[in-house]
Amino acid sequence: MATTRILEWFGRIYIWLLLAFLYLPIIIMALMSFNVSPFYQLPFEWTTEWYASLWQNDQLISATWNSVKIAVITTVICTVLGTAASLALYRYEFRGKKFLQALLFPPIAIPWLITGTAMLIFFFGVGIGRGLFAILLGHVALALPYVIVVVSARLQTLAPELEEAARSLGANQWQVTSRVTLPWIMPGVIAGGLFAFAVSFDQFVVSYFLSTPGQTTLPVEIYAAIRKGFTPEINAVSTIIIVISMALMLLTARFFKFGGEK
Amino acid sequence: MRMPKPTAFLTSIAVFASALTLAAKADEVHVLNWKGYGADEPWAIAAFEKATGNKVVNDFFNSEQEMLTKLRTNPGLYDVVMINAAFNDQAMAEKLIQPIDVSKIPNYADISPDKSGSPMLARDGKVYGVPWVWGLTALAINEKSFETPPTSITEMWNEARKGRVVIRDDAVEAVQFGAIATGQNINDIKDMEAVKAKLTSLMPQIKTFWSSENDWNQMVASNQIDIGTYWSGSADRAKTHFKLPVSLVIPQEGAVAWLDAFSIPVGSKNVAGAEAFINYMIDPSFYVEWVTKVGAPVSANTKAVAALPEDAFNRKVMGDPAVAKRIQFQAPITDAQREAYLALWQELKVNVK
Amino acid sequence: MAGQVATGSRSGLRSALPLLLPAYLWLTVAIFLPLSAMVFFSFMTELPLSGKAWAFTLENYAAFFSQGLYWTLLLASLRLGLEVTLWCVVIGYPAAYVLAKVLKGRSREAIFLLVILPFWSNGLVRIFSWAMVLREGGILDTALNAVLPFKINIDLMYSYPAVIIGLVHSYVPYMVLTCYLTLQAIDDSLIEAGRSLGASRLQMLRRVIIPLSMPGLVAGAALIFVPVVGSFMEPRILGGRTGTFYGTVIEDQFIAVFNWPLGAALSFILLAVVLIILAVASPVLRRAA
Repeated sequence: MATTRILEWFGRIYIWLLLAFLYLPIIIMALMSFNVSPFYQLPFEWTTEWYASLWQNDQLISATWNSVKIAVITTVICTVLGTAASLALYRYEFRGKKFLQALLFPPIAIPWLITGTAMLIFFFGVGIGRGLFAILLGHVALALPYVIVVVSARLQTLAPELEEAARSLGANQWQVTSRVTLPWIMPGVIAGGLFAFAVSFDQFVVSYFLSTPGQTTLPVEIYAAIRKGFTPEINAVSTIIIVISMALMLLTARFFKFGGEK
Repeated sequence: MRMPKPTAFLTSIAVFASALTLAAKADEVHVLNWKGYGADEPWAIAAFEKATGNKVVNDFFNSEQEMLTKLRTNPGLYDVVMINAAFNDQAMAEKLIQPIDVSKIPNYADISPDKSGSPMLARDGKVYGVPWVWGLTALAINEKSFETPPTSITEMWNEARKGRVVIRDDAVEAVQFGAIATGQNINDIKDMEAVKAKLTSLMPQIKTFWSSENDWNQMVASNQIDIGTYWSGSADRAKTHFKLPVSLVIPQEGAVAWLDAFSIPVGSKNVAGAEAFINYMIDPSFYVEWVTKVGAPVSANTKAVAALPEDAFNRKVMGDPAVAKRIQFQAPITDAQREAYLALWQELKVNVK
Repeated sequence: MAGQVATGSRSGLRSALPLLLPAYLWLTVAIFLPLSAMVFFSFMTELPLSGKAWAFTLENYAAFFSQGLYWTLLLASLRLGLEVTLWCVVIGYPAAYVLAKVLKGRSREAIFLLVILPFWSNGLVRIFSWAMVLREGGILDTALNAVLPFKINIDLMYSYPAVIIGLVHSYVPYMVLTCYLTLQAIDDSLIEAGRSLGASRLQMLRRVIIPLSMPGLVAGAALIFVPVVGSFMEPRILGGRTGTFYGTVIEDQFIAVFNWPLGAALSFILLAVVLIILAVASPVLRRAA
């Protein structure tokens, strides 16, 4: 079918155009990490000075590490708790279910500024205080709704008869979940995890309120730097992060299949 | 995806959390200030730590309101806080800061009397703030766009500059700027309608609102703007340190002046360290190095300013008696005033759309 | 469409509880309780923190209704949210379709991840990079003038389109992701069967593919619309003079004047409006499918 071929080619070209749009600012960010001017001034003059000075910037490096650690832990907790909750919302009918589903939206809808302030006051009031643990608490709570919404969207494509059939064949609840349900929703769980990572890793407002001197995350450092004394070291560290994550992701894609191929 | 065992998982969180829990140690000086504002310069911290044996831990704020919130929600954490003199009164009233024993700060004696005698920094004969530096919110120009620098604030309204003017996104600053443009006292604005009309006519001129030094410098580096409100210290830093084509203009109509001072929060665990730090911050040797290496506002310490080269901006321009006559220092603002200013500013911003 | 069919009936809650509890407990401690404190504040005249006397009041909510300014801004923000969501659907849905149905094998996984990755970069740094592209004499301007035979002036920076571009860039991966999840689940044989029965491509799209992928579209739209309505960073930096929206006004109340009660009241009004819109829109969307 010739038309199908042509449409498929259009599709491929379209995807590459979308990638070009998505990567345009990323490429500029990376280029500016090699530019002499700290104000993104052109013409472009090559330097690796910002990478050299980044190496000396302990504060930025430790903030980056904190961000990575918190994002990874957040991702793990959120995918586990979020998937469990989505399963419950998918499988069971009970009173107040609609309410529980609606409750997922306040954390997304209320500007993070307000949520962050609210957390600061509340954590301060109950003695949790500030610091990395408080940040982790906050990040998980912010990312959880995203995971539940995403996993639930995928679960809705799972025909309930499939679980029923497995049950009628004598599989217990755990077997049904691990052999039938989880493999089917895996792309959703992975996507949820990617969301959770993104929400945590780029989360600045809540981290900002909950961080203490020395216990900050990368976005907080970046924001503070933009106020005064911005340097392309920030572009440098962002570039390194993107390159490393890209390598990790492509490796994952090479060795681990998760697209839900049928 | 493999799920980790719950116990191992919880332990790892607990370990992670406890390893990073924060505790203020006795020989640490916790400083709360703007980022990139002198007190966090690595060379300065190193010199201070070497001289006194105290370790400096910096924390930052992005607005005065946030600074107050940080003090309210972290009693006992900070030893030194940098407060704009116009906010000192509020911090004092809320009992966030304590009286300072200036006899423990040898450099205090050299502070210019008009700064140390500021009524904003004392109450009941006790000193609550040690003046550090002062500066102006005046105009700055892109040198590439002007043959001769303008002398009047009206240049902001010049039709030829349309779409190449910037102003800071700050209600109080905008209203006070409007007061100067209409020939009023910034601390006692009688004719608010005039200010509003003046700012309304400014809006179509504006390219964008800036909020940080970095915004300004980026826009001038890419030649997107001609003129705008700017801080004196930042303009000097842009010119001398970053080599950008920026120069400060103190318009004949006047400019807004501010005074920054150090205070010691209530509950500080290291008052001696705090005093030593404040003393170091107003020391001429620190100041000269700060100006030379980074660019800074004007020190409140007369000896520090005198230690600068004769033609230094902070000595020649800012020390000019003619300048002193036309600047107006910001006085405290009540919450009601601040909200009224914000309402006006928001209305202007919405109507311009 | 595979809906949620009651399996547990009466014992539903008891079975659901162990799975629900950890997530909702966490949400309660870290979000719902703190936000309840905020609800409480929104009815106060003053913050109890600053040691001043305070009383209960409805004034903060009344302020929204008495001042046209807030209405105007809320409408502007809703419009912004709608436009960004529509652009994300228009751009993201076809991409998700290509990913799910055209690309096969390893390359699909790789490209899927490449779509998500930009989203891990820092939002502020991304916005700054956009400024370089969009401004006069920036990359877009220079590139177009190098290609085109005539001279044009492109200065999109500090304008409404700049805000849209920045927000669409930030949020389009959400749409690609959620649509991909439901599109990928559609059985290829179903599409082939439909085609062999003589259905045209458009008919298949309208009758089969869009309805089956609706949960993903709805989820994506909600995840985009909701935060965009309250956004303040992108409008402020990219919108310049025209970048005042409902979110920036809330930010001002919190940061500039420290009027948390009013800021909180404004955000809860926003929340109510957004929830009503979601409640009305999602069944309509589902039925339309």
